[in-house]
Amino acid sequence: MANTFHLQIVTVDGLAYEGNVQRVTIRSVHGDLAILARHINYCTAVGMGTARVLMEDGTERTAACIGGMLSMMANECRLLPTTWEWSEDIDVERAQAAKARAEALLQQGGLSEERRILTEARLSRALVRIGSAKK
Amino acid sequence: MAAANMKAVKLRIKSVQNTMQITKAMQLVAASKLRRAKDKAMSSKPYLRIMKRTLTKIANENTDFQSPFTVPGASERRLFIVIGGDRGLAGGYNANLFKFVEKEIEGHDYDVLPIGKKAVEYFRRKKAGIFTDLYAEVAKVSISECFRIAKTVCDAYLEGRYGHVSMCYTNFVSMMSQVPKASALLPLSDFENPEYDDTPDVKNMILYEPSGEEVFNDIVPEYLAGILYTSINVSVASELAARRTAMEAATDNASEMIEKLSLYYNRARQASITQEITEIVAGAEGS
Repeated sequence: MANTFHLQIVTVDGLAYEGNVQRVTIRSVHGDLAILARHINYCTAVGMGTARVLMEDGTERTAACIGGMLSMMANECRLLPTTWEWSEDIDVERAQAAKARAEALLQQGGLSEERRILTEARLSRALVRIGSAKK
Repeated sequence: MAAANMKAVKLRIKSVQNTMQITKAMQLVAASKLRRAKDKAMSSKPYLRIMKRTLTKIANENTDFQSPFTVPGASERRLFIVIGGDRGLAGGYNANLFKFVEKEIEGHDYDVLPIGKKAVEYFRRKKAGIFTDLYAEVAKVSISECFRIAKTVCDAYLEGRYGHVSMCYTNFVSMMSQVPKASALLPLSDFENPEYDDTPDVKNMILYEPSGEEVFNDIVPEYLAGILYTSINVSVASELAARRTAMEAATDNASEMIEKLSLYYNRARQASITQEITEIVAGAEGS
């Protein structure tokens, strides 16, 4: 199989995926990018967004991918996200609840700087999760 | 007199038994939680290894490489991140850690970022400069909060508020032994030696986007968050192991005490029976 490459997705909670894939699409800090087999040796920081992985057999899986980095070395791709959740594993209700909670908190105001940033980050993570789950 | 004594001993046995029940329950709870905590602590190791390898690679391959994270800060002030426990009753877990921290901070101008209820209380009592005490419950600190901590710490470092950031936590050596440990977080000085380099040599052929430095600087907080998260997990596992050991000792002590007290109780009972018999016999002979 010439058009596949080896992908490892490692998070702090362990190995999320390992195997051969045709394509990985993620959102980096500078926008969406896709990695195909025989990509040049490459390294970038990962932003927040929906990631799509095209498997060897042509099926596509999506996931919520937040933070971390991606490296492609000699046809070996390593994705080290801060959090990685396959879309089928995403608890949409929980994400919705988190979104509502964060929105309410922000609306209400009066948060300390620290809390406000934390809440905003929570909101954007919840939005990424909800967006990734629907697809 | 003997009867009153017997009653007191019986009450004492009862209370020791109650205590033993509690310590036994705590031991079992800690043991079952420990298994999960240990798995969690172990599963984040590969992440750190790969992350570190990549950072080392970037640092070593770019000749004109310069990152504010690798040069020592100008400030003399140090920041200590101290990961303690939430609750007591874990043997010397918290005490050992704080003793160790005292030694570490000696002679430095410092602030602390305590994580865990006991750590927050300790440094409040000490009236030490506290960076933030938002993270009072170590068991509830999530990866996203670690990320947040790492980011604020990095920002403070870049602003020049601190010249050195290190972390004190309790390393999980084995089920029986947990040792307090300090590790330096910033500046990142250990990226100069390519000891982690076991990937095929592709020197200077890596495209970094947007640029090596930017990738590096973006990844450093992630890396620190990873270290922090792992250390917190390791500390939680250590706390549970310490609690399990302490509670096991307490349970053993309690059963020993019960044994001694029952022996004493039986002796007292025997003595009172003997005395009664003697009294009856003496009474019968007298009539």
